[in-house]
Parts: sequence; C-alpha cells; structure tokens
Amino acid sequence: MLSAEIEPCKDAFREGCDHRGNVGARLKLRAVVVEDEPADVELALQALRLADLEVDEDIAQTVEEFTELVRKNSYDVVLADYKLPGWNGMESVGILRKEGLDIPVILVSGALGEQTAVDCIKQGAADYVLKDHLARLPGSVRRAMREAKLREDHRQSQAELARSNRDLEQFAYVASHDLQEPLRMVATYTQLLAERYRGKLDSDADKYIHYAVDGALRMQKLVQDLLTFSRVGRQGLALASTDCNLALQEALKNLETAIQESGANVEQDQLPVLVADSSQLVQLFQNLIGNAIKFRGSEPPVIRVSAELSGKQCVFSVADNGIGIAAEDAESVFVVFRRLHTRAEYPGNGIGLSICKKIVEQHGGRIWVESEIGQGSIFRFALPIKTTPTREDRQKR
Amino acid sequence: MKSKPEILMVDDNPADIDLTSEVLAQSKGHFHVNAVNDGIEAIAFLQHKGKYTKAPVPALIVLDLNLPRKDGCDVLSNIKADPALAKIPVVIFTTSQASSDIARSYQLGANCYLRKPGNLPEFVAVVQSMADFWLGFASLPQREKR
Repeated sequence: MLSAEIEPCKDAFREGCDHRGNVGARLKLRAVVVEDEPADVELALQALRLADLEVDEDIAQTVEEFTELVRKNSYDVVLADYKLPGWNGMESVGILRKEGLDIPVILVSGALGEQTAVDCIKQGAADYVLKDHLARLPGSVRRAMREAKLREDHRQSQAELARSNRDLEQFAYVASHDLQEPLRMVATYTQLLAERYRGKLDSDADKYIHYAVDGALRMQKLVQDLLTFSRVGRQGLALASTDCNLALQEALKNLETAIQESGANVEQDQLPVLVADSSQLVQLFQNLIGNAIKFRGSEPPVIRVSAELSGKQCVFSVADNGIGIAAEDAESVFVVFRRLHTRAEYPGNGIGLSICKKIVEQHGGRIWVESEIGQGSIFRFALPIKTTPTREDRQKR
Repeated sequence: MKSKPEILMVDDNPADIDLTSEVLAQSKGHFHVNAVNDGIEAIAFLQHKGKYTKAPVPALIVLDLNLPRKDGCDVLSNIKADPALAKIPVVIFTTSQASSDIARSYQLGANCYLRKPGNLPEFVAVVQSMADFWLGFASLPQREKR
C-alpha cells in the first residue's frame, strides 16, 4: 500500500528531470564535483538544494578519477574547483573534449583574477562562480544545462538533416537511374510511330505523337540532369592540387560550339592553383559560362572570369553582359528545378545552378549572384584556400 | 547466292530485339537476327543444344549484360573460353554506362562495347554502323566448319 502511494511522487519527480530546462522547476541532476576540499563540496551542494536542485554527485580529485567517471557514467554538469593539487579544474574541459563529451563545466573557485576567469570562459568553461557567491550557482547550473540541451537538440537536428539529405540523394539516384530504361522505350517507340505513321493517320494523331515524343525526350534530359545532380553529392570529392586556369580551359573546350555560335568573347585573368576536385571545378565553370552564353542579351556575350585572394579564401567572378536577374530572384536561381523563363524562351531544366551551388558548398565555400535586370550578372563563388588535402578530406573520397 | 549474315542477339527486352531486327532487316546487308532472351538460351544456341541443333553459327553476337538466369559477363566468358566460339566477335549492347561494366567486358574479351542510345535516330545509327563495321569492313578469321 505504502509503496503504491509513493509511486506517483516518484513519477512527478522524474517529470521534473525531463523538463530540466524550466527555470525554477525542481530538478534532479548528476554532477561530477572536482574538488579536494569536502567542506567546499558540501557548501556547493547545499546552495543547489536550496534552489530545488537535487544533486546526485560523484567526487573526482585527480585527472584519472575524473576521466574514469566521465567514461563510465553520464553527467549533466561538472562543478570544478580551479586550483587542485597537481592539476587545475580547467583541464577537465580538455578531457571532456577529448572524450567527445559535451558536459558543461562550471568553475567554482576562489578569486582567480579577471584575466584568468575570462580565459577560462574562452577555453570553453560554461561559467565561473566565486565560492563566496554560491547563491549564483543554481542559476548558473540551470542556464548551463539549458544551453547544453539546446546544443544537443541542434546536433540531433543536424544529424537528422544530414541523414535525410543522404536518403534524398540516394532516392534521386535510384529513381533517375531506373527511370532511364522504361523512358528509353517510350522515347524510341513514339519516335518510331512518328516516323512510320506521319501523314498516314490524321493531323491530330501526328500532333499527339509529337507531344508524346517531346515529353519523353524532355523527361529523359530531366532524368539525366537529376542523375548528374545526385552524383555530385554521392561521389564525394577527389581533392588534389588543381590549376584553375586548366579547369577553365577544359570548360571552354566543352562549350566550344556554344561559344562559336554565339560569338562569345571570354576573357580571363590569371587564376590560382587550389586544392579542389578538378572535374567538379570544370563543371562549375562550364555551367556558369554556359548560362552566361544562354542568357545573353542582344549583343554578343562578353564574359570575364577573374579571381581575387581575400584572406583565407579565393573569390572567383564570372561576369557577363547578359539579360541579368532581378534582385528578388538572386537566391532562388540556385534552387533545383527553379526556372525564371519559359522553355520556349530558354530551354533547360533549372538544374545547372543548383549543381554549381552543391559543388561550391561541398568545397566548403559559397556562391551568390550580383545582378540587375538588363545590366548583366556577376556570379561569384568563394572557395577556401587549402594547401594540401587534409586527412579528413581524403577520407571523404 | 551468298546466305544472309546471321546475327545472334541476346537480350531480354523484346522492344530492343524488335527495333534492332527491324533496322538490320532494312539495311543493305540484309542481316538475319536470331534472338534469345537469356544467357542459358544463348549458350544452348551457340552449342547447338536442345531445340537449337539446327541453329546457324552466327557471324556476330550482340550481347546485353543484364540478363535473366545467366548474365552477360558469364555468357561472354563462356564464349571466349570455348575455342569453337572464341573467334566470333561479341558486341556488348547495353544501357549500362558504368565504367566498371565497360572495363570488365573488355577484360573478358568483348570486341566492342556500345551503349543503347535513348532515342530513335541514334539507335538506328548505332545498330547500322555496328553491323556495317563488323560484318562489312572488318576482316574476320575464317569460320570454323561444323
């Protein structure tokens, strides 16, 4: 009987734990107290209890004890004295980082001097509470835990986002790959119908067959583009020292016909050598210059490719004298399948710039456009300057 | 009178067989296409087994990779391992663009690798030039007598 009556209390208590972010709510928490003075431990716990913070504490006096505790158990907070025999409480921040744990560390210490206190916060301590101002401790603990919870939520949603992006890419790849085969049948056989029965049925039939052929061929292009788009994300980066001048030359070679037909004049500055995926850089230049040619004005296109080093990044520009883009569309042109014109005006699936964005972002950079209607466009992208591929980069391959 | 050059096409897609036969039947060479739908049938045809005892020896084999029962690579290695068949040119004709498929096919002794084009004009051009090249321009070794 008695235990049954006690149960609901326990539940209420546990509920308090779950809502630890609520200021003033009763909270139970697990803490490591890094302290060599038992009286100081007691004072700190008392201060917390007075503010409805029930602490289940473990005491660590040495680096080894601390490391073992955080490896074995999970904690909500670390309360650490600064000056300890043989080490100082700030070292616990480094240990947690090395262990890959995000547990807020609050220094509970005698006067350290302003500079040391500021340094501790800079190095990652959540807060700094003076032993003779322990009334501040509960608020500090609640805030540190609230922030840790936010960080954890953020990490989770980031991981979730990354996972769902990977799934989506996988889906796009499989879908576009498997769609190609039946589409090939539709395209070839509607074309055969058109060829064999043109003028033998009636004019409506000819028109309908033409629509079917056109739709199938357009869908084929769409599926191929989608496949290209999903490949950029799936295959990872093949990073190597890349001469951007050569990448540009190759892009121009691929665009030779379009350049000749439009009478385009492409000028280029000396471009740098960067650590990048060269085939992706070729594609990047090719898409940007291809667009500059496609969206030309009444004059033959004049396109200027340049690069400028600025701090730890290199900002590339592809400037044209084309039809330009309205300011309100400057963001949306990079969205996949977004088109600003009808297919009759300018053919395409609206995938080129989204591939550019993906390539630039994969390299840790960003891309944007500066333009006005009728005033030409300048597409710029900033790539971070790395001298050699890092181990992390190599692992991405 | 010279007999029509015989082609063996191994493909599980009837639409591709129809289209290829059609193109070849209308071409100058008047090729005759024998079609089978999987790898086991292909080997039976080539070895004159079962219902294929009277099957002709083809001058050219057009082989898809993705086949039921026994896939194209298996068929290819069987052909190239059989002295009676090894000299018949084999053209891989498939939708796969995977570089691994291309490399493996040549590794196993394929004479040529062609991707099935996605539209009619290209399909016709590829099939036509394949037959013209292998059965017209190319000099091939003397056929084995049965």
